Amino acid sequence: MSGAVLVVGELREGRLVPSVTEAVGAARAISGPGTPIVGFVAGPSTDAATKEFGRLGVPDVRTASDPRFDRAPVSALAAFVAQAAGDAGADLVLVPGTTFGRDLVGRLGIRWNAAAVTGVTEVQRADGAWQVRRPIFGGRATETRRLDGARAVVGLRPHAYAPPPDAPVDVRSTAVAPREPPANLWVPKRVAEEPVASGSGPSLTDASIVVSGGRGLRAPENFHLVDELAASLGAAVGASRAVTDAGWRPSSLQVGQTGKAVSPQLYLAVGISGAIQHIVGMVSSRVIVAINSDATAPIFKVADYGVVGDLFQIVPALTAEIRRVRSA
Amino acid sequence: MEIVVCIKPVPEPETRLRAAPDGRILDPEGVKYVLTGYDESAVEQALLLKESVPGSKVRAVSFGPSPRAEETLRAAVALGCDSATWIDSGAEPSPDPVDVARALAGTLRSLPHDLVLCGKQAGDDEAGLVAGALGELLGVPDFGYVVDLRWDAARSVFTFHRMTETLQESWEAPGPLVIGLQQAWNDPRTAKLPAILKSRKAPIDKVPVPAPDAHASRSRATTFALPPPRAGAKLIEYKTPEEAAERLVKVLREEAKVFP
Ligand SMILES: Cc1cc2nc3c(=O)[nH]c(=O)nc-3n(C[C@H](O)[C@H](O)[C@H](O)COP(=O)(O)OP(=O)(O)OC[C@H]3O[C@@H](n4cnc5c(N)ncnc54)[C@H](O)[C@@H]3O)c2cc1C
Ligand SMILES: Nc1ncnc2c1ncn2[C@@H]1O[C@H](COP(=O)(O)O)[C@@H](O)[C@H]1O
Repeated sequence: MSGAVLVVGELREGRLVPSVTEAVGAARAISGPGTPIVGFVAGPSTDAATKEFGRLGVPDVRTASDPRFDRAPVSALAAFVAQAAGDAGADLVLVPGTTFGRDLVGRLGIRWNAAAVTGVTEVQRADGAWQVRRPIFGGRATETRRLDGARAVVGLRPHAYAPPPDAPVDVRSTAVAPREPPANLWVPKRVAEEPVASGSGPSLTDASIVVSGGRGLRAPENFHLVDELAASLGAAVGASRAVTDAGWRPSSLQVGQTGKAVSPQLYLAVGISGAIQHIVGMVSSRVIVAINSDATAPIFKVADYGVVGDLFQIVPALTAEIRRVRSA
Repeated sequence: MEIVVCIKPVPEPETRLRAAPDGRILDPEGVKYVLTGYDESAVEQALLLKESVPGSKVRAVSFGPSPRAEETLRAAVALGCDSATWIDSGAEPSPDPVDVARALAGTLRSLPHDLVLCGKQAGDDEAGLVAGALGELLGVPDFGYVVDLRWDAARSVFTFHRMTETLQESWEAPGPLVIGLQQAWNDPRTAKLPAILKSRKAPIDKVPVPAPDAHASRSRATTFALPPPRAGAKLIEYKTPEEAAERLVKVLREEAKVFP
């Protein structure tokens, strides 16, 4: 098998989202030098994203440029991805670890008759088949799976692979023309959208650093300590459920079993005890730091580094120190 | 309205995880399988819709071995589902979620369904594959990450929200529809004792698993591993908050190498 690898693009405000760049990095990391890497992007306008693929060293981009894709359900889009994968002679499709990507994988698996997996941290070739590793049970275990059959769709976990260095090439873009998906798949309509409340920084699931605050902050008016620490790091702000339930911060910031699962390079838990429902949402972060006044708080069992102390003293000092080293 | 809710028996959250002797999957020995997480929300959502749309019925469907699939279905009946269908998977399955979707689709084709509710992802394999695969197999749209699903009777459409990384989207769509639910508009209810007792005698429709498609590509588990136990946090020693900050930043830069 020496087919192409198709990387599925996703647009936000006309640009590729960071997880797509990571998927290009993954494609490079796992395939031999002779393997063609092909981009796919759908949207009302795909020119800017096509150029971005070129900047990342992807010379061949399949596009579905159509105003319909501004408000298209993923279920209709799957037909275009499957067609692009077929046209490109791909045997592997890499899908970014976003909500859009997560929704696409199962559908594409059936549509393209491929083995399908999500949440993957590692892809490898072993004994003539793709083999993947993925965390399960909220990061309390991992499994490896072997993908049997000629084709595979692999959904990546955010931050599992690093973006590739820039390696600009000329891009050729080709329009994808699939057999039109059934009309009923186009019927659902997106009637409104509003930005989800997030801090001013990057979104929680994209961010490579997350700072989360818990009940230890005592009152909503103290939460600015977390916001400022996050701002000093260029990090996203998260929260425990104690905080979101109390209405100090919107539920879109909740990390955990019933909130978002995040896996940044660095996770800082401030005044969070470390209940299992919180842990499962952040335990697969690369490095975990806890700041808590209670040395017996369970968060210290999963943290790599801890500061036992009063957050009202530690956090402002930490923010100041980070600002200092960053400006030095 | 005919509502189908797909539920998966998964190990209770407190289960001590351990690999089976063959090293491929979780050892099911002594594990208690229950209805949890997003599936509980999916059942709640189904019941809320049933209560708000007169004449609705909710059927719970589960694919799995005995006794865990029936027990999980009984838990759903105790919560208020009207009927239950058990797709008997035979012995301990460690299937591909896409294969599970194939079995569910095979069964659903002969059951009325205006709405098929799944959890956003299962509490054990966390795949989030079933809803999308099921949508494609049934030829209907599917949406994941859904919160707050309602029925607009005047216009005969479902309305719902979805949370993406940066947006809360509002959608509307007629049935039939497959939904991967993130959250219902209420917290999941708990079953009352009389209902639990009654559910023990509830009839469960048992159907055979459809013959697997020999040509389908699929994934299979080859190893189940526990991460090495965490050593516990390395605690920063300090006399003043400033010293704590300085030392923490130093280890993060030099030892953990997480920021420049
Ligand atoms: C079904 C279910 C689902 C759930 N889902 C989630 C979920 O998705 N996400 C989630 O987070 N939780 C979830 N929870 C709730 C979870 O069980 C905990 O209740 C919650 O995480 C606690 O939040 P917390 O750590 O902020 O608060 P607490 O547990 O009250 O911890 C506060 C911590 O702050 C510390 N502290 C206090 N003062 C200071 C100070 N001055 N300086 C430093 N430290 C201080 C304390 O020592 C303590 O450890 C769920 C619960 C259930 C039952
Ligand atoms: N064995 C099963 N029986 C019934 N429904 C299932 C089964 N497995 C998964 N599902 C449904 O599909 C959802 C997503 O599962 P998964 O794709 O495995 O993460 C679950 O929350 C259930 O609603």
